[in-house]
Amino acid sequence: MTQTQVKRFLLGFFLVLYSAVFLRVDFFPLSWVPMYGVRNTAPILTVAVGDLERRKRGFAATRANGEQLFVSRKLLNMPPANFRRLYQERAFGEGPPQHGRERLALMPFNRWWHETLLGQEQEHQYQAQLLKTVNDTLGHDADDPLRIVQLESQLNYAFFTREHLATGDLSHPATERRTAIITPEGTRILREPGQPLPAP
Amino acid sequence: MSQSKPSFWDRFFFDWHAGEALGAARLYFGFGLAIYVITQYMQLLLISPAGPHFLFTLPIWYFELLGIEHNLPWLNAPALLLLVLACGFFALGRHTKTAIIAILVLMFYLKGVRDSFSGDVHHREVPIVAILVLFLVSKCDQVFGIDARRKGLAPIADWEGSWPLRAMQVYIALFYFWALVAKLRVSGLYWFENGGHIQDMLLARSLRDGLGPDGAPVNLSLAYDLAQHPIRTFWIGAGVFAFELLFPLILFVRHWKLKLFMLLGATAFHLSNYFLMNVQFFFYPFVFVTFFDMRPLHGWLRRALRLSQPLAA
Repeated sequence: MTQTQVKRFLLGFFLVLYSAVFLRVDFFPLSWVPMYGVRNTAPILTVAVGDLERRKRGFAATRANGEQLFVSRKLLNMPPANFRRLYQERAFGEGPPQHGRERLALMPFNRWWHETLLGQEQEHQYQAQLLKTVNDTLGHDADDPLRIVQLESQLNYAFFTREHLATGDLSHPATERRTAIITPEGTRILREPGQPLPAP
Repeated sequence: MSQSKPSFWDRFFFDWHAGEALGAARLYFGFGLAIYVITQYMQLLLISPAGPHFLFTLPIWYFELLGIEHNLPWLNAPALLLLVLACGFFALGRHTKTAIIAILVLMFYLKGVRDSFSGDVHHREVPIVAILVLFLVSKCDQVFGIDARRKGLAPIADWEGSWPLRAMQVYIALFYFWALVAKLRVSGLYWFENGGHIQDMLLARSLRDGLGPDGAPVNLSLAYDLAQHPIRTFWIGAGVFAFELLFPLILFVRHWKLKLFMLLGATAFHLSNYFLMNVQFFFYPFVFVTFFDMRPLHGWLRRALRLSQPLAA
């Protein structure tokens, strides 16, 4: 390449890369690098408090024939970090970060091109997909008596007020235990008072 | 070359590095990339090659286009091995361009697999792909490598080695800057005001694996400790703000010690993200080799290791 050709190449190269920034494109390998740019203005910060041992056992599951079992990450043959996201996030209806941040505070122009070229944001059915994935991965079709008809995930939540966060006092948050029960008919989230967190 | 005085952009891109510096950067970037991809895709080796084929819950966009719906567990280890080998070929300047294409294809595949299990699309390969594209269109295969030495190729001109490295530096430096713009645009100063979103993140990350009976988190206890000190969290956030805002200034620094100082700051940023929030970006600072002329270090290493044959073309 001559120097002139190099300049033309660089112009095109950076034009493509930085158009992604201005148009807020976030489809790998182009990105507007949102990272942790998430706005949370709720007066209470809700944080999931995991349970490593419970998560290792996996989803409490029920087959169509009534048999009880645990669907663990090893049974599904998947990496631990991804299993954590399924167990603690998707089961409770929480999607991956890009689903939320991609649509946050879009400028009218960006909203226009996004909706014109990619269509309206579709509603994701995380829990239904999770049940489908488990049955497909384990090789159970719709008529199989061994198919999973219920998945259950349990998680504690802690609620920190902004006042407590401002002072750094994390000692006594309110807590709640939630149980996600996923069935082909839909998902129920049961809520009950949680145990106090051990003091830091 | 024109006789007229070179423009700012000509000096910026074409008059910064020697031709061979591109090959030396390729050598160290390639070996660094081999380690980096292992850190990124090692988790795929924790699954059984003979186990079930997982149906992806949210396939990445190009898997969706290609109709790739399931993980092929037996393919991950060979793909990673090939990827590491391709990085070695790229580093040593043997079949360099073919190796770059192989790296890109294998990285797209393994990233797609890793991110499609649960649908969280990570950004850790974004800068790597941009840098590899620049290596691909450059003459990095004609200098400081096995092929160049075997074929007895003439050295490339300094400007031919300079512009790809400068373009990589622009991309790397501005990646931090755009990250700052994106964070401020969405969350404003709340991102770190009184601890702000950083404190939220520290809490969420440290509690996600639960607390032990002693009240300490099972993992990332340092993050939990820091979350209890919003003033310290604020100052860390302010430091990151200053770092991301001012980092592009490195593009105008020629003195290697000052550059090293700035890049050590960036390295501290990545290591802190890893130790506090388990952000798997801790080996990313290997890309900073593109900011330096690595030949003096290479010469020193050769002397230290008592290697006789010079690799330079």
